[in-house]
Amino acid sequence: MSNKRHMGLRASAHISNTLIYIVLVVMSVVWLIPFICIVLQSFRVESTWQVGYVIPQKWGWDNYVALWNSDFKRWYLNTFITALATAVGQTVFVLCMSYTLSRFRFKMRQGLMRFMLVLGMFPNMLAMIVLYRVLKDLGLTQANAVPGLILVYIASSGMGYYVSKGFFDTIPKSLDEAARVDGATRAQVLWKIILPLAKPIVIYTILTAFMAPWGDFVLARYISFGTSAGMNVAVGMYSWLQQDMIGQRYTMFCAGGVVVAIPVTILFMCLQKYYVEGVTGGAVKG
Amino acid sequence: MASVKLTKVKKVYDNNVVAVHDFDLDIKDKEFIVFVGPSGCGKSTTLRMIAGLEDISDGTVEIDGEVVNDLQPKDRNIAMVFQNYALYPHMTVFDNIAFSLRLQKMPEDQIYEKVTAAAEVLGITDYLLRKPRALSGGQRQRVAIGRAMVRNSKVFLMDEPLSNLDAKLRNQMRAEIILLRQKLNTTFIYVTHDQTEAMTLGDRIVIMKDGYIQQVGTPAEVFEMPKNLFVAEFIGAPKMNVMRTELKKDLNGGYTVSPFGVKLAVDGGKSEALAAKHAPTGEVLLGVRPEHITLAKEGQPGAIPCTVEVNEMMGSELHLHVVTEDGTRLIVRVPTIDLEPDQRHGLQRDSRLYITFRGKVMHFFDPESQENLLN
Amino acid sequence: MKKYNDLEYLRLSKGQKFLYRLVSFFAAIPVALKNGCLGIGRFFKNLAAAIGRELADIVLTFKNGDWKTRLSFLIMGFGSMARGQVLRGLLFLLFEAVFIFYMIMGGGHWMSLLSSLGRIGPHDEYSAVLDAYTKVYGDNSFKILLYGVLTIFFIIALVYTWRLNIKQNKIAEDILRSGKKLRSGKEDLKSMVDDQFHKTLLALPLTGIILFTVMPIIFMVLVAFTNYDGSHDGYNNALFTWVGLKNFRTMLTWSGSGVNYSATFGEILTWTLIWAFFATFTNYFLGMFVAMMINKKGIYLKKLWRTVLVLTIAIPQFISLLYVSKMFAKNGIVNGLLLDLGWITQAIDFMGSQAHNALLPRVMVILINIWVGIPYLMLITTGILMNIPADLYESSRIDGANAWQQYTKITLPYMLFITGPYLLTSFTNNINNFNVIYLLTGGAPTNAAASGAAGSVGYTDLLITWLFKITMGAESQYYMASVIGILVFLVVAIISLVVYNVLPSIKNEEDFQ
Repeated sequence: MSNKRHMGLRASAHISNTLIYIVLVVMSVVWLIPFICIVLQSFRVESTWQVGYVIPQKWGWDNYVALWNSDFKRWYLNTFITALATAVGQTVFVLCMSYTLSRFRFKMRQGLMRFMLVLGMFPNMLAMIVLYRVLKDLGLTQANAVPGLILVYIASSGMGYYVSKGFFDTIPKSLDEAARVDGATRAQVLWKIILPLAKPIVIYTILTAFMAPWGDFVLARYISFGTSAGMNVAVGMYSWLQQDMIGQRYTMFCAGGVVVAIPVTILFMCLQKYYVEGVTGGAVKG
Repeated sequence: MASVKLTKVKKVYDNNVVAVHDFDLDIKDKEFIVFVGPSGCGKSTTLRMIAGLEDISDGTVEIDGEVVNDLQPKDRNIAMVFQNYALYPHMTVFDNIAFSLRLQKMPEDQIYEKVTAAAEVLGITDYLLRKPRALSGGQRQRVAIGRAMVRNSKVFLMDEPLSNLDAKLRNQMRAEIILLRQKLNTTFIYVTHDQTEAMTLGDRIVIMKDGYIQQVGTPAEVFEMPKNLFVAEFIGAPKMNVMRTELKKDLNGGYTVSPFGVKLAVDGGKSEALAAKHAPTGEVLLGVRPEHITLAKEGQPGAIPCTVEVNEMMGSELHLHVVTEDGTRLIVRVPTIDLEPDQRHGLQRDSRLYITFRGKVMHFFDPESQENLLN
Repeated sequence: MKKYNDLEYLRLSKGQKFLYRLVSFFAAIPVALKNGCLGIGRFFKNLAAAIGRELADIVLTFKNGDWKTRLSFLIMGFGSMARGQVLRGLLFLLFEAVFIFYMIMGGGHWMSLLSSLGRIGPHDEYSAVLDAYTKVYGDNSFKILLYGVLTIFFIIALVYTWRLNIKQNKIAEDILRSGKKLRSGKEDLKSMVDDQFHKTLLALPLTGIILFTVMPIIFMVLVAFTNYDGSHDGYNNALFTWVGLKNFRTMLTWSGSGVNYSATFGEILTWTLIWAFFATFTNYFLGMFVAMMINKKGIYLKKLWRTVLVLTIAIPQFISLLYVSKMFAKNGIVNGLLLDLGWITQAIDFMGSQAHNALLPRVMVILINIWVGIPYLMLITTGILMNIPADLYESSRIDGANAWQQYTKITLPYMLFITGPYLLTSFTNNINNFNVIYLLTGGAPTNAAASGAAGSVGYTDLLITWLFKITMGAESQYYMASVIGILVFLVVAIISLVVYNVLPSIKNEEDFQ
């Protein structure tokens, strides 16, 4: 009797596992197909417009060469510089904010957090109209969009403190206290004790700050305002897929997509561990 | 090597909860003081105010005659051992102990000497290059103590340092703290919720409840002369038995009590003490420690009949939980050596026996204020 | 209504229990409202009392203070400098100087025009030299509004600093009177990295937030009360000015016919909420499901499956979304493949760039959003699922629960408790999910019935893409965009408030550990 029951259990586990494998394989295919297609089409030479098939009839590097000869180089450089500067500035701002909110108990702390929560409920698109005009007055739009964009990305980044504050909260406060009794100033506590322990969240912050500018579309579009020299890859390549351009630029878009995705993906894959840690912690902490 | 003086120290939290009320205490140089009390009594808060980790809402804290209220912890010249050790996880044991010395910019070879000397004393020389997570609880505890030791500070603060250890290790570390104290010869302030630790370690014990000091005294004082019912029940294990009874005066002026309808004379000098305080007759709370109750024979004067409910065999002694005829539960602690051989495994549930106690072990408390009548 | 105690409640049947909870919930609303109003009242009372106290203290400080203190009322920082705290004093003085400079250089001017937003607009003026009419520019409404707001901020900051300066004097006098020494400049600097370190750390991020988030939001909220648009740009064409609540009336009055703001707003809001609901919960449950499949005992290559999914996070969204939208275009790969296979005879208009079928594109954006979102949710839920204590499952198995009961009675409640705050933020983020909609469909297909009133509105447009389209459209009705923005804020705020009060896990930040 018990033997039979055992067999039944094992058989049903077998069936459910097989089902799961099938689902997972199908999912992997669905998730990967767009990327396989984009890579394949970036090597298509026979035509530049959209076609109904995937495998190119003629292979070649033409699209990449065309990319090299277009404004894409400039966009790429713009985005890269923006991403680097943002990664540094945003990390500093976010860490300052989150460390303070996690460790100090000052009078306005609760009020400040509530205020930022409410502030976050306004669609940030609203602010862009004003920011555009202000940056224009400062001469930081269009061809000079890169510094303007960096400024905007960094300036308000303190509001994104949730995830790293959640992480700091998990570091026992008694470590701070022990260090202060041991003779460290608050700044030394941060520098010598907390930051070395917060490595995962520092890397997570750098990583997300570095990745965001590659995908930002709206603000970059506002600030570059049609001037190619100030565009980032997202804005520039978006124009390639509009009605008037898609005929000549579709395969170039694919090639550009590959060129943009490769470094970001490699970086991401290397630091995946930290990303997962940050994302999970952030969700739990809210 | 310093005295610590607290004058009317008060702690009020932001939500207006008062954690510590007017705390007055003079700690002498080289004294070992223990703050003890149930959780939430304000003992840790007081310690943290001395350390500078908690703002002082009112009153002053002086170390060596200097008011330190506005000083940062680092400027108070104190050392502290935390309950969860608070070892820096990313540093080796050596770096942990050396941290404060490096902040003082001490030359590296001096640091080396001090750290290895401390490690020698604590027996952790073999682990100097390990990270804290590779250490056992007891070893971590030693590192934490080592970190505090090397600082040559004026006051040594310990916040429940043994409560994360298992029972056996705790006893061992307790003995080591006594040795350490003899070696360092400095002022110690030690916080614990465990009355045994308090009794064995402290020169003086400060018993706290709900933010108020209940009593300050040597272990013998608080045990023999508890100021109120709370202290009486808190100190000593198992805790003191308390029964409601009538305090009367007999014809020749001596006091008597009659718990459970059995008349007992208040002898052994207690009657005289009560008379000196002009203790009024009437209802009192009578406290007797379990170890002061003895077994009696049937028919012996002053024998109180009761039945056994639970018995706990501790080896050298037997803890009997008994119920008197009016339903009061009492604990009696009997050395096994006094028992008949057939009783050594414990007494049968529901078996009848007689107990009694002498006047000199009685404690009397006012039923209203719960203060000791002999105060 | 009757209140049950715990024991009585336990004896109710399932339906009665539900009903009882429902009734209690609604019965609690008036009480909550009353408490809310009382709270607001108390806040203002406290505020008034606090201001009164401050004023009294200021007067007292002046009366009891020495001449150094009294002079500080006019020359900020004078007292500090006179008492040897040069650094502090200089900072106060510097702030005062900057303020005066700013007010003279234009701040006062902008402030004075704030009530009218400019008097003289651009106009033609006769020039004797050229003997012709030339265009002359007048005031700039945009700058007046912007710098007017900035000036108000500046004035508030000055009042605060002035008060601080007076308080400093009082404290310094008290310290000196008690025979102690004041902090020197060097000690002040030291305290910046020690007991005052939080101020140092917050200085830059907060300045950034105030200048780049708070200011613009206040500005745009104010724009909702003006007629700022493409033809009233405040400088080149015409000035703009205050119009009161007119724009809100336009947006919210229901005129009955289809082509007006209120109808369009209602339609888009409905779709936005439907979208946010599906986008959040499909992702959540499917992501959890995928995570549980991969986590299951006996499944090999766990790392591979995860990596495949995570790959999609790494690739910038604009690439994947734009590409996927082109895959589903009429002449895209999917249609090509289906045609080749002979499964369809005519290309399907998945993304609805031409068709007027609203349902298919709407389903498509939700499906593609699942494709985008599952990897994130898989990552998040994997971590939490692994943290559910195993003994919960063990004890439930001993109690006789099967796999489904384990899921509904243990896994799901645990997950919902832990991820409650995340669900809320993800819902509100989806309300404002610009990228997915704009990059996939751009709002298409066009909703001809709703388009007349406010630019071209599509069936997949969210409030946020509508807002964007209005600002980018030919008329650039910034004031309408601003009204929509405020309404979006209200929607998000109300939802958050309600959920906040219902969720147990969100209430106390310290409770989490």
